[in-house]
Amino acid sequence: MAAQEPTTIAAADQAAHPAVVGAEGLIGAADEAAAFWWLRRRIARTLVRQTFRRARLRLVMVILLSGALWTMLYWLFAEGFTFFQSAIHTHQLLDGAVRAVFGMFFLALMVMLVFSSSVILYSTLFRGPDIAWLFSLPARAERVFLHKFQEAVLLSSWAFLLLASPMLLAYGAVGSVPWYYYAMLAPALLAFTYIPAAAGAILCLAIVRWLPRGRFLLLALVAIAVLVVAAAYAASLVTETTADFFTPIWIQEMLGRLRVTENRWLPSWWLTTALLSAARAEAAESVMFLVLLVSNALFGRQLAIAVAAKVYRAAYSRLHTQRAVRRRAGAAWVDRLAAALTPMLTPQMRLLVIKDLRLLRRDPLQWSQFCIFFGLLALYFISVRRFSYDSYHVVWVHMISCLNVYVVGLLLATFTTRFVFPMISLEGRRFWILGLLPVRRETILWSKFFFAVAGSLVPCSLLVLLSDAMLRVDALVAASHQVTCLVLCTGLAGIAVGLGAKMPSLRETSPSRIAAGFGGTLNLVISTLYIVAVVLMTALPTHFYFAAIHSEAADLVVARLNLAPWLLWWLTLGTAGSLLAGAAATILPLWIGMRAFRRIEF
Amino acid sequence: MIQFHRVTRKYGHKTAVCELDLAVSAGELFAFLGPNGAGKTTTIKMLSCLLRPTEGSITVCGHDTVRSPREAARNVGYVPDEPHLYDKLSGREFLEFVARMHGLGSAQTEDRIERESDRFAMRDFLCELTETYSHGMKQRLVFAAALIHDPAVLVVDEPMVGLDPKSVRMVKDLFRAATRRGTAVFMSTHTLSVAEELADRIAIIDAGRLRFLGALEDLGRQTAGDHGSLEHLFLELTNGNGRAPEDLAARSESDGCARTDDNRRG
Repeated sequence: MAAQEPTTIAAADQAAHPAVVGAEGLIGAADEAAAFWWLRRRIARTLVRQTFRRARLRLVMVILLSGALWTMLYWLFAEGFTFFQSAIHTHQLLDGAVRAVFGMFFLALMVMLVFSSSVILYSTLFRGPDIAWLFSLPARAERVFLHKFQEAVLLSSWAFLLLASPMLLAYGAVGSVPWYYYAMLAPALLAFTYIPAAAGAILCLAIVRWLPRGRFLLLALVAIAVLVVAAAYAASLVTETTADFFTPIWIQEMLGRLRVTENRWLPSWWLTTALLSAARAEAAESVMFLVLLVSNALFGRQLAIAVAAKVYRAAYSRLHTQRAVRRRAGAAWVDRLAAALTPMLTPQMRLLVIKDLRLLRRDPLQWSQFCIFFGLLALYFISVRRFSYDSYHVVWVHMISCLNVYVVGLLLATFTTRFVFPMISLEGRRFWILGLLPVRRETILWSKFFFAVAGSLVPCSLLVLLSDAMLRVDALVAASHQVTCLVLCTGLAGIAVGLGAKMPSLRETSPSRIAAGFGGTLNLVISTLYIVAVVLMTALPTHFYFAAIHSEAADLVVARLNLAPWLLWWLTLGTAGSLLAGAAATILPLWIGMRAFRRIEF
Repeated sequence: MIQFHRVTRKYGHKTAVCELDLAVSAGELFAFLGPNGAGKTTTIKMLSCLLRPTEGSITVCGHDTVRSPREAARNVGYVPDEPHLYDKLSGREFLEFVARMHGLGSAQTEDRIERESDRFAMRDFLCELTETYSHGMKQRLVFAAALIHDPAVLVVDEPMVGLDPKSVRMVKDLFRAATRRGTAVFMSTHTLSVAEELADRIAIIDAGRLRFLGALEDLGRQTAGDHGSLEHLFLELTNGNGRAPEDLAARSESDGCARTDDNRRG
């Protein structure tokens, strides 16, 4: 290259003469918008092509799982609305109940959308790797903002659409609504999504511009306040009522408690009214509220753009000129506790475990997700106490306790895929440290396995114990759940560590990308199959066994399928089988992983 | 072309750049030197409109970087030390986007892409996704993107880091060519030999303060009889070993802002 450069540069030199450019040389707003859309289309096209070429399995899995979830939700909502229709005979009460369901649903999602859009926008507007480069171009700050805002709307609203669409379509199908109910679903939902997203964007810009130092504290305080209010409100909803379940008085009482969703200033109420008016064939009222939603969405968007034009560049500069806080990092009580609790480990393995523990606790992104999801499950388990504990419900209580164990398992499978599977891959770039130490490679894998089992077993066992305590199941059942929990935790950790060592992505630095790759997808699929296998072997026979003992009605299922003579066998063999499956899921992937890890070249 | 007027940038209570006064004219290659953490990158980020000065102002071709950032950016080609490329764009698509953002028409964009792909010998890989590029290929693409609109000012942060000898030679030729056609080049670097070889003037900054501003010969003259190399002079100015900085500062050129209050430093 050097040989030709002087001549080519000299040739180019002849052609180019820089000229100072003023405001007249700047690109117009329409052309700028077209350029950004062109950029987005090109990137999307490449991503779609690569996904079809390289990640078919992941694509198929995502479509299948999303389809299954959507269908299940549709069925649940359709059953729910049918039940409403059959249980509530007064038209006014039925209308109020549906309105309350819609209002509560949209209000909760609206609050979540405000937070999710502001968090997404913070990471893309202020921490995005491309922003510094975009700002070095003659791009309007508001255009860069709008580009990221549209992405944030898409990212934060897909889950909302996945949840809302089955409910709204099920309501339409059950209620035999006119065609324009369906026609206005898309514009109404889109307009509704824009309003909290714009509010979140303005919140994000304002916090970074004027309170950059206390941004995390402020956001945490607001999130805690919202959670406390929501929890208090949820608690008030589930407190015992004086009336019998689903009687008109009970419904009236519940509707009274949900009155907050009826506030006329809430966009969630506008959306509810627009949709329910359309369902009742009140076209004029419906269109009026749709127009109200659209006009507010557009106003919110323009307001956010105007705020961005004023403060975005200044906020970016202010955030990036904050003095970095240098954290002292030393041995914490957690590390000392971990060291004290692991006397059975070799010193080398203990050091490796404590190293992983330090990396985990100093990365709030990881443990905060863990805390949020397990915290939500704990909240749900606490509220499960609402069940009556008479003999009529024993079968259902037992079934719910079993399902809770497997919900914990499924949640754990997503976490082992997201956090444990990438652990070996993430060692790739720093393997020169571990590789030069006098440590056997097996020790590294065993330490990861131990870390994963210990880290998952404690919260999972506690959660399952909480669920069983709230449901007041038999001690024997609670003990069997703890064994199942142990089997699930060791198996899922074995699968994630083994596959992580067998299929590492050593050049990748982002754990989420590693988890989203082929190996991560395979890990999730195998983990799910493993959980299903354990469910079939233990939960079903246990459930039928207790059904046969406790309930005549449930015994019908057992009798109809002629299962009675086999139940005890199924229970015994199933338990033994699940233990064997757990051992196989632990040992086999670890063995495969260790073989691969011994041979791997970094 | 570039004018810093008493520019200060603080990070909390820490002053990263302190009352920086300097000017770079058309066709000049200006080397901005300093040890790690001296304030070079902060200065360059302010010049390329990413950060705002706490006090003072910066103008590029007469456009204030805070009041008219778009007009200023339109006249700047910026090559950062860690450039961002969109992984899912090809090199050609990347250049096309930059050209469009600078308001070039379709035909002109095509011509410029051809010119830059010849200039940086990128024809073989320009249509491949940038995620497959080596460091050198990425660096060439970023230089091409910075030059595609024929900027009046080229701002380059650490241009030689990670480049092989061929690419280093190419960058040097590029700088010479750019200054010949009237472009002002503002280059921050740790590679003192490059500054020694190419720069018309150099500035040495340490702890946010300008220690020296002038031509290399001036620096040599001022320290005549001591040592000859820029490396030694640089270390002398930034470490405080040997001469006290104020001796040099007092003798630096009058329009530069090697400050007399430097003697506050030990």
